[in-house]
Amino acid sequence: MPRESATKAGRSRETGPLASIEIADLARSFPTASGAPLIALDGVEFAVPDRQVVAVLGPNGCGKSTLLRVIGGLLRPDSGSVAVDGTLVNGPDPRTGFVFQEPRLLPWRDAAANVALPLELAGRPAEERRSRARALLELVGLADFAGARPHQLSGGMRQRVAIARALALEPTVLLLDEPFSALDALTRERFGVELLRIWAETRTTIVLVTHSIAEAIFLADRVLVLSPRPGRVVADVNVDLPRPRRLAMLDTAVVSSTAASIRAVLAGATDEPAPDQIWGLQPAGSAPGARDPLEGVGVAAWFDPFGREGMA
Amino acid sequence: MNLSAPTGAAPGHAERGHAARRRLDLVPVLLGAGLFIGAWQAAVWIGGYEPYILPGPLEVARRFVRAWSDGTIAPHAATTLVEILLGFGVGASLAVPVGVLLARSRFAARLLSPYIVAAQATPILALAPLIALWFGTGLPSKVVICALIVFFPIAVATMVGLRSVDARLVEMARAFRADRAQTIREVEIPAALPVILGGMRVGATLAVIGAIVGEWAGGGSGLGVLINLARGSLFDTPLLFATLATIALLGVGLYLIVVLIERRLVGVRG
Amino acid sequence: MSMAFRRSIAAVLVVAAASAACATGTTTSPSPGGPTPLKVGLGYIPSVQFAPFYLADQKGYYRDARLAVTFQNGQDADIIPLVAQGGLDIGIADGTSVIPAVANGIPIRYVATVYARFPSIVFAKASSGIASAADLRGKKLGIPVKGGSSWIMLQALLASAGLRPSDLQIVEYPDYGQGVAVRQGTVDAATGFVNNEPVQLELGGVKTVVLTVDAITPLPGQGLIAGATTLAGSKREALKAFVAATLRAMREIIADPSSGVDAAIAVVPELGADRTTQLAILRATVAAWQSAYTDQHGLGAIDQDAWARSIDFIRSMPESPLSTSVTAGQMVSEELLP
Repeated sequence: MPRESATKAGRSRETGPLASIEIADLARSFPTASGAPLIALDGVEFAVPDRQVVAVLGPNGCGKSTLLRVIGGLLRPDSGSVAVDGTLVNGPDPRTGFVFQEPRLLPWRDAAANVALPLELAGRPAEERRSRARALLELVGLADFAGARPHQLSGGMRQRVAIARALALEPTVLLLDEPFSALDALTRERFGVELLRIWAETRTTIVLVTHSIAEAIFLADRVLVLSPRPGRVVADVNVDLPRPRRLAMLDTAVVSSTAASIRAVLAGATDEPAPDQIWGLQPAGSAPGARDPLEGVGVAAWFDPFGREGMA
Repeated sequence: MNLSAPTGAAPGHAERGHAARRRLDLVPVLLGAGLFIGAWQAAVWIGGYEPYILPGPLEVARRFVRAWSDGTIAPHAATTLVEILLGFGVGASLAVPVGVLLARSRFAARLLSPYIVAAQATPILALAPLIALWFGTGLPSKVVICALIVFFPIAVATMVGLRSVDARLVEMARAFRADRAQTIREVEIPAALPVILGGMRVGATLAVIGAIVGEWAGGGSGLGVLINLARGSLFDTPLLFATLATIALLGVGLYLIVVLIERRLVGVRG
Repeated sequence: MSMAFRRSIAAVLVVAAASAACATGTTTSPSPGGPTPLKVGLGYIPSVQFAPFYLADQKGYYRDARLAVTFQNGQDADIIPLVAQGGLDIGIADGTSVIPAVANGIPIRYVATVYARFPSIVFAKASSGIASAADLRGKKLGIPVKGGSSWIMLQALLASAGLRPSDLQIVEYPDYGQGVAVRQGTVDAATGFVNNEPVQLELGGVKTVVLTVDAITPLPGQGLIAGATTLAGSKREALKAFVAATLRAMREIIADPSSGVDAAIAVVPELGADRTTQLAILRATVAAWQSAYTDQHGLGAIDQDAWARSIDFIRSMPESPLSTSVTAGQMVSEELLP
């Protein structure tokens, strides 16, 4: 339901009626080689209260990344609107911080300089940049690696630098596009725990795009399931797990029933379209002919979205 | 909570490995030089060449030392060095902005490319006398010729380097609200720098050729003039070879300077 | 195989054979009974100056001496090493090139004088008021480059008046050449050749004054050179006959320059476009072939004393091309003269 969000909401601490993010009737399509436009998003609508963690789940090509980029102001919707804290998003916004699927660090800058990049682009003075970068690196556990170049860091460390960078301008919303997909399964688990710790300290709203039911359930308060072509929210599932979350919770009945209901919704999900049929933004990392990411995910204690552990 | 993974080694460790690798590079260099000199001397022995046709390495080395110590080569080398530095500077300062333009604007690329390629294809040896006619036989004509000869490789390298910048980095910069100028300055140019400097490596060696060719089209001083004097006035073939050796060392030296600059600006990016 | 393909294969083979022949550095040896082949190196561009060679060739003097002569053109810097190696049997070169060449160990010998007077001179418009070397002080003088025969000549000329090149304003590479520069007044005087720029200026109606160096330092002009090895070899007699035939043609042209112009036009038809100029050039050339010495000792005779003085002068020059001591006897030989 669209809300009239004429009043500007501050970052309130109460769970008031004013939403941190409001998506209204969002539509976005891309031209294709065959002529008929690919409808990535069609009438997407939802609201995210302040400080909520929302996971957007769906198979490849369902428009999750498109949705995230529209929220982040990197793509313009064809129709509809996005509002953060009551104000419309018209382009890249300092109130949203973006974490991409790859770390996307500048290889010629050290970790601290990479974290400081948004502050530099915003014209903040050097001393502020230095102290803020130090504080952020400490938050993500990389205080000792401030002077390291990206090539000297592991993949996980680089992604942590990227998360620190996204938090540089103290955004109210953190947008993450499959941020752990490049990591191995064990590291993914740890990073999920890490992300929740960072969220607890920074108090941002989080929208996280993911392939993995288990990851979505573990991290989020709500799971929005997106259907592919046209992209629509087909389910809005609440996750009734207490915070702080523990990995052991994944073995509980609550999780398996939540997962079951999500899978049921996804049962009608079709395979991803062939990449050459899509123009426009292709979520990075989607490989042609990838296996159905939901295959083999049951009551798994592992984050295993690509079935690498051979559970299929 | 510290999740520092053991795979991320602290900086310093990698640097020491690099220094060791650079030291070892001296061995193949010395080996190569030894082989070259050996082959040269062998050619002289086997062919039985007279010193006025092909002097041996020892003869040339002696003449080289003498020509430097009695001041024969030094003033000419200084003249040529000035021509090269000025010519390279002018050429590179024009080539980089043109390369940026060609990378940015498809229209400009389509408009200018045919002329730039045609200018490159015309041998500089044919253009040099014309340039000497228009600009005189002093320093300006040499600078023009050098600038012309380094222009193309540097412009093309700039264009290619900028065009091959990772679009994902550009999107990331956009996400953090970088404007056009900031994106160019903070992302595109540093990303393109290795390729641009690669073009400048080529340019550095071409600039030497340009200076010599310019001097051949008319000049009072310079290593190219000295070549002509050694050949046609002095009939001193060892001096001719000593001058050639000087020119080669000049080219190598300039190349190494660009490499050092590259190490400084680009650094180790892994 | 198509005709074009066969032709190109043949061309490649001819080029390969020719370069192989050049690389070996020796010319073909005379076949018994047949004419001796001689490769002769003349100056940079075919011109009326080489009329004696063309005349001797066309009138059959070489043929009568059982010589099969072919001509090649080149600069001193190319002809001297080729003659030394034997790639050319005989050639023309300037005496002031022979001196540093022999000093640097290049085995050639100057075997006949062609220009008994040094052809490199300083010229100016008569209206400039320059009448002698002393008048050049402070003037603008155009030269092609600070090297070669004209540079040596200039220093000798200036030395006679106690001057050095630094006492003048030397202009290197004057625009459009020395002749045009003098005529337009860009420079007050310039170096040139006695049979070139002054002749052109006079024909254009501009009175010129010419400063020569012969009375000051008798620098050796162009002459025939041969390699020391060739001289000691089987072609010696053939070379002697060549020299004799060439001197004969020179004498004929001195008597009748017009015949020389005709002979040159037969080789370079473009010269026929301006017979008057070519005749004037040839007359000036002929005048430079003769001096008091040749009047006394015959055309082609070599004045060793003049050579010795020239060697001394060149060695005394600052930045001299001579670093070792050489004598005239090491570089000249009259063995081929009749």
